Amino acid sequence: MAQDTAVPKLSFQYWLNKAVEWGQTTTLESQQDVCLHLPKLQEFLQQIYESLKHMNSTTAIQRFPLIGQLLGRLCWNPFVVGYGKNLKLAFCKIHKKIILLCHLLSSSEWGANKVGTGTFISALGYTSADYYSKLVKNVSILNFFYFSRVSDDHVNVVSLFCIPLITLPDVTPLLEALLTYHGGRSQEVLSSEFLEAVNETFLKKKIALSESAILSLWLRHLPSLEKATLHLFERLISSQTSSLEEVACIIKDSLLPKAACHPAIFRIVDEIFKNALLETGGAPEVMTIIQMFTRCFVQAHQKDNKQHKFPLKAYFPHQHQPLVIALLKHPFDLSATLWSQHLKYITDMLKAIIEDKSIRTYADLFESWFLFVHFGEWADIAAEQLLKSEDESSDTFLWLLAFYYNPHNDKEKRTQILVEARAVYDRLMMLFSCTTLSVTDLQAAASTKTDKRQPCTKHLVRHLLISFLLFSSGGHKIAQEFISHVILASNTTNEVFGLLIRTAYRFNQLGLKNQRAVKLVNELLQELRFTD
Amino acid sequence: METLLWQVEQLPGLLAVSRSGQVRDWDPPTLDRALQWGRYFQHLHGRFRAQPRLRAALGQRLRRGQPGPPLGFGHLGRCPELLGLALLGNRALPPAACHRLLRSLLLPPSGQATPGPCSLGLLARRRAAVQLLPPPPSSAPARPEELEPPLRTEAQLLLSRLQEDEEGQGPEGVLEKLPGPRVYRVLAALLLLEQAGDNAGREGASWAEHREGAGPAAAVLSWLLGDPGRLSAFCRLLPGSLLVALSARYPQLGTSYLRLLTSWGNRLRFDPLRGQWVSSRCLSEDELSWEELRERFRCFMRGPAQLREAALASLKNLKTQDGDFEVCGLSVWTDLLLEIALTRNLLSSSPHLLCLCQL
Repeated sequence: MAQDTAVPKLSFQYWLNKAVEWGQTTTLESQQDVCLHLPKLQEFLQQIYESLKHMNSTTAIQRFPLIGQLLGRLCWNPFVVGYGKNLKLAFCKIHKKIILLCHLLSSSEWGANKVGTGTFISALGYTSADYYSKLVKNVSILNFFYFSRVSDDHVNVVSLFCIPLITLPDVTPLLEALLTYHGGRSQEVLSSEFLEAVNETFLKKKIALSESAILSLWLRHLPSLEKATLHLFERLISSQTSSLEEVACIIKDSLLPKAACHPAIFRIVDEIFKNALLETGGAPEVMTIIQMFTRCFVQAHQKDNKQHKFPLKAYFPHQHQPLVIALLKHPFDLSATLWSQHLKYITDMLKAIIEDKSIRTYADLFESWFLFVHFGEWADIAAEQLLKSEDESSDTFLWLLAFYYNPHNDKEKRTQILVEARAVYDRLMMLFSCTTLSVTDLQAAASTKTDKRQPCTKHLVRHLLISFLLFSSGGHKIAQEFISHVILASNTTNEVFGLLIRTAYRFNQLGLKNQRAVKLVNELLQELRFTD
Repeated sequence: METLLWQVEQLPGLLAVSRSGQVRDWDPPTLDRALQWGRYFQHLHGRFRAQPRLRAALGQRLRRGQPGPPLGFGHLGRCPELLGLALLGNRALPPAACHRLLRSLLLPPSGQATPGPCSLGLLARRRAAVQLLPPPPSSAPARPEELEPPLRTEAQLLLSRLQEDEEGQGPEGVLEKLPGPRVYRVLAALLLLEQAGDNAGREGASWAEHREGAGPAAAVLSWLLGDPGRLSAFCRLLPGSLLVALSARYPQLGTSYLRLLTSWGNRLRFDPLRGQWVSSRCLSEDELSWEELRERFRCFMRGPAQLREAALASLKNLKTQDGDFEVCGLSVWTDLLLEIALTRNLLSSSPHLLCLCQL
């Protein structure tokens, strides 16, 4: 053979013989022999890997036709697999190297050691393609049948070996068995490379796994769960969704709402959302995502048939429980006549929490606000009620809206914002019953004497304006114009779009179709989508 | 229709050429055409799968072709792989064509949906997967789950062929063609799979129940039991434990097996010089040594109660027929019963001696 090979052929044959020998006897001497030889074996495998790295696959398979056999035999020896991570990684790397092309380039349909099989299968009138498609499934089945009888180390090795095979559909049952395998140890049995690889492939939608397998994966491997959540987030932010129904669809598709029925997973996902909110400074898109996720989660939780379900309030353990229960009541579950009352109830509780001196830490304030953000549909309802109902509780609703858009701890700031909001609201209400309005009238009502408006107040004012346009008779006529000239000029398309699709979603869910507001929303949305 | 038949008749020729030296004149466009033919044949397979008469006609035409391994309708479906493999292994293929071939194998051709479930790349990945997944240690399988994967696969394919008998050969026709002694091991695996219930070895074989006559297991059994030579080879080759497991499910097999053991036992003669039972001539395929006979009956004793009783009854009967001796060396059946009783007594009194008895 070639003299330039760093791995003499003799060595290979030596190790192959050793592997056969070790496989056949289990005496104490042979076990000791194994342990003594392991460091040299590791060196040898490392050498093989190095020389393989620089060869092309044809040469590789010509030089080392029996690599597969060697590694196959070794991996069933409990001492070899228990030896250490490095040995296992060496196995894995070598296998990865020789995988695909070596078989593609092998010269016969069956290979030298399968002539008998070949004759048999041909006599049946089948080809190697038929044979191998079934064989892989059977090997997978047999492997996981043996899981109950082998050591955790072996399962670890199998998980390593499966890494290059993850996208092969025949191996999926084996993957699922691995993911749901729980060994005797408290540490993770499966290799983290395997878990990462499965998660990546799943997120890219290259394989389909059962829900219980994915749940198992996320429960046992935190980085996978985090990646999955971030992946969902990116998808939602980057995709051009034109309705909240689409957003809900994408969220449900990710399997995260269902997985979040497990409190540990919910807690982690929630934490990630919280960080996103903080990093983006409370961007309205993020708030919408959180709301939609919560809604999907609550729906998944209600559909869950398990006996030992956690009550919903258990997912928000550090919050004021009556507030949680109140917020969990979705507007769609209450008749519209009860909305005002419920909003007052929520607001009173929130006010009490905020102004109670005993819990006035910033963290508590933030947590209460973050909780409210999960159920931000109530803020939308508050804005609508401000304009539609004849109620005397406009103070309450304004407070709630103000709170939604800025959870500052500073009492003075809050008061100032409320005062401004109240001013704008009063002016708008004066214009409410006018049937003919002009854009300038509305602009005048919304503007402030000074230019020093806080950003949060701007969000609030915009919300009020959009509600005005939708729910007042005068506003309808100038809605299109107002939006295109004023709002878009101030570079707030996304925000306006967001408000409109939330309103559209609400109307759809409530089954409202023919009202004027509904039609207007759809028209406005169409315009915005068109101009985008 | 005639065009179709003529086209299909070209497939054996195409495959033969891809394996021969004639490819040295192939340039990339010629290669592309060949691959297109491959895909076309696969397409034909997909279209006519569900039409038995057309299927039969096409199959017949295929077999009219060149000498070499006979092709069937199923091979049309595998055409891309067969062609690809033949060309890949052909050293005479010039480099330009070879490059084109590799490219087309690694990237699916544009304008086509993802290659069917059996593309060559997938075949290669599966072969590699089989290398990668470690083979579990082999032991004598008594349950379907324990069957070695290659054996299990061959059994499943045989089952498919028996159910999907496209050429109308009938079970005997299929089984005759298979090379023994391998066929016996595969048949045992098939019987083991079938015994596990409806869905053990079959995948999507709901039409099996609608077939006239008995299922594949029954067909296999009647083929085995129908010829004494076959039965003898079958029972000789397979281990006693497996045969007992199968006898539990297939009583006719149990009866025939016991009868066979009887005839084998009757051929043994006692050698007073050595004090043992020996076969009258050198061991041929039709004979069993004393040790093996004893081991086979021991397997019955370890089996389910029904079989145990049947074997014991049979032995007692034979002992009586032979003259009902109680002394060793006169009747092989007496001696067997004595050995078995000895084992059972030891077992019942001290179970940990079981290991000694199995030496």
